[in-house]
Amino acid sequence: MILRRKKLEATVPSMAMGDIAFLLLIFIVLLARARDDSHLVWQPATGSELVKPANQNASIVIDKMNITYLNGRPIQNENISDQLSALLGELPPGSRTVLFKVHKDVVAEHFEPAIEAISEAGGELHHVLEPLTAIKTP
Amino acid sequence: MKLRRPKYLVDPPSSSMNDIAFILIIFFLVCASVEPEDGRTQIIPSSEKNEEQNNTQSIEVGLTPSTATIDGTPYQKEQFKGKISQILSQKETKSERIVVVKSQDDVPYEHWIAMTEIIEKSGGIVTLLLEEEQTIIVE
Repeated sequence: MILRRKKLEATVPSMAMGDIAFLLLIFIVLLARARDDSHLVWQPATGSELVKPANQNASIVIDKMNITYLNGRPIQNENISDQLSALLGELPPGSRTVLFKVHKDVVAEHFEPAIEAISEAGGELHHVLEPLTAIKTP
Repeated sequence: MKLRRPKYLVDPPSSSMNDIAFILIIFFLVCASVEPEDGRTQIIPSSEKNEEQNNTQSIEVGLTPSTATIDGTPYQKEQFKGKISQILSQKETKSERIVVVKSQDDVPYEHWIAMTEIIEKSGGIVTLLLEEEQTIIVE
């Protein structure tokens, strides 16, 4: 008498795939948030004929409280130039855009040294502004 | 005679739930990542170039919180627009069109950006004049 072996099917359980993808996404989102500056409170100044930047290598934010941030992390004005130079490295001209987001009421004492530091680091300054038409009249 | 409907147990299809959740997450991510980036690109010449160009006489604009001065004469915003356009239209070379902007410490960003926009639209090249602190030791 010949006894035949049962063929065992080995399949990858597909039920858990969705949950794995979900957890991975949350992990990636959390990592991405660490460099993000969306949590900072600032209101843009207005401007006309605005354009989108061709690329973005770094962002400098000066918030409502006059605190300066480089890529979402607080920084002293004296250190901007060095850290920005390290970030931009040897990138060619045209690819060294630095987004500059300044709260509209921040005074020159705080934003001018940051502009100077961007210039020193060879960054290409892009002021992030709000279009004039978006102003709501009371 | 009463006919009773049979009660069926209907389960919603759970196999597609993961896909729906996945698509929803992507949707929220895309929505959340749209941050305003529109603005104005400004090229500020580096300090070395400025030093070279100091020999040529450049226009000096002073900014106070509400007004602007051109070579010491104060102007309101509308007057400033006309005057700076008039001055810059007479300049031919790039080095002649350099406008040195000197701001008081209390000039708000909104005013600064409006004034530099006028200068750049009139054909000027904005450079900044900042005060430097130096410590001199007297023996």
